[in-house]
Amino acid sequence: MISKKRQILSFLLTGILLIILFLTAINTGSLKVTPQELVKGLFIEYNENVATIFDLRFPRIIIAMLGGSAMAISGVLLQAVMKNPLADPGIIGISSGASLFAVIITAFAPSLYFFTPIFSFLGGMLAFALVYSLSWKNGLSPLRIILVGVAVNAMFTGFMNAFNAGTGSTLSGVAGIVNANITMKTWDDVKVLFYYTIVGLFASLFVIKRCDLLSLEDKTARSLGINVTNSRLAISVIAVMLASISTAIIGPISFLGLIVPHIARLLVGSKHRVLIPYNIILGAFTLLFADTIGRTIAPPYEINASIIMSVIGGPFFIFLLRRSKAGYNG
Amino acid sequence: MDNLFNVQSLSFSYGKNKVIDDITFDIKKGIVTTLIGANGCGKSTLFNLMTKNLHADKGKILLADKNIDDIKIKDYAKMAAIVHQYNTAPHDISVKDLVSYGRTPYQSFGIPKNVDEDEEKITKALEITNTLKYKDKPVSQLSGGQKQRVWLAMALAQSTDILFLDEPTTYLDISYQLQILKLVRKLNMDFGISIIMVLHDINQALYYSDEIIAMKKGKIISKGKASDMVNTETIKNVFDVELEVFKAGEKAFMLTI
Repeated sequence: MISKKRQILSFLLTGILLIILFLTAINTGSLKVTPQELVKGLFIEYNENVATIFDLRFPRIIIAMLGGSAMAISGVLLQAVMKNPLADPGIIGISSGASLFAVIITAFAPSLYFFTPIFSFLGGMLAFALVYSLSWKNGLSPLRIILVGVAVNAMFTGFMNAFNAGTGSTLSGVAGIVNANITMKTWDDVKVLFYYTIVGLFASLFVIKRCDLLSLEDKTARSLGINVTNSRLAISVIAVMLASISTAIIGPISFLGLIVPHIARLLVGSKHRVLIPYNIILGAFTLLFADTIGRTIAPPYEINASIIMSVIGGPFFIFLLRRSKAGYNG
Repeated sequence: MDNLFNVQSLSFSYGKNKVIDDITFDIKKGIVTTLIGANGCGKSTLFNLMTKNLHADKGKILLADKNIDDIKIKDYAKMAAIVHQYNTAPHDISVKDLVSYGRTPYQSFGIPKNVDEDEEKITKALEITNTLKYKDKPVSQLSGGQKQRVWLAMALAQSTDILFLDEPTTYLDISYQLQILKLVRKLNMDFGISIIMVLHDINQALYYSDEIIAMKKGKIISKGKASDMVNTETIKNVFDVELEVFKAGEKAFMLTI
């Protein structure tokens, strides 16, 4: 069992690391400013360097953090719903469903930009409904979910790449989503992501108890007065919403929703009252870390955060697959 | 004695397979009632129908003259607690945290309405089941018998007048089986909780119950006082096996070998 002390320590350390990473990320690149210059430039008087950093680096940093939190919480919620520690919005195709719809909107109805997350959400729900219904056979087997998910993911990714190639990869918005590129993000993107993500994260706080109870047998949860089917549906909708919003702005990121909750469970335990808030911080840290690494490896070229996540996440996923025999309640 | 449940012309099928075939019976208040029968006789299905895990095709189940279909699941959880046969919990949950889940029906969105009352009921449930000493231990580290008492404690924390138990002694060693059955008997005697359970062992069913409901092929073929059931014919009817009656002092048992 995990002591309160260890939980508090994990929160503190991760919080401090996130702040350090944030300051590092601001200073990663050709322009550099000291913390004093930064504070002065932001709040007191105009400083050209600070203004440039504010316009170019801040949006991507904030987007990476919001997207990371959203994907991590989406993972936690899906894992609770499916009682499966391997559920991840990227792996089971929710992200690719969401990005396909985002791509279509960006290409055909760019004026609806602010509503892209809503269309992404529909795409994500479509993918989720496919995976859930196709893998249902006398209950949900963890392995079947992954297998069906991989197929659904491949299908949507295929559509999306076909669309991108078919338009000569020239529509910059489309290619940006397909490649999960967050280099050129602006404050407008931040706004869109921020509003929708906050709603999703806030909603996740209302299902904490239900997530805990779903870790029991369905019959047991029902005997405690919980409507299991409705709870699953509500939690899934929040999970799909969070993953879709983040995907609409950033593009599909795989493995984050898998790795972050897994590490979080090791550090703070499986109670969602602690797990959900902690994943918000650790998710933000992880995606920002991946993005910052991608910017440092081979400047002036940048490696997308999603690529970094795949490179780290792939082996990690195999490790988890090999280790998990007892499943969600191990 | 008042009736607790009135079951009226109840039927249930899995596809074309009729598992419960038009049965009507009552369960009395304040006693221990046990469902027995061979595998596949429909006793588990009946249990699931009475605990709102399944929905009847025809007929109805009345609890205190109210159709249980019309009782919200959350309200039902305040009237009847259920210990299921098979249970799982996250590996790092503590005994006390698990037992506190029993207070769920009295909360909304996980926010307790009366913290002191919750605390009191949880402690009482831990005391009755003799699990207070493990309260900070993870459930996963307990033995089978201890775990089963913890699940029972969770059900007791719901503070209901009715307790359902689905084969509460399965997977347990004989000493733990007796521990659980004695505890169940005590809950009935000391707290007046009406108990409805499914048991596999004939003699345990006969010894620890007031009333027996014997099922076969989706029908009730025998119902009555436990002491009236201890005879070769009844048992042959239910289980298709001829067993001798064996007397030990005043008590009669079936020789199950």
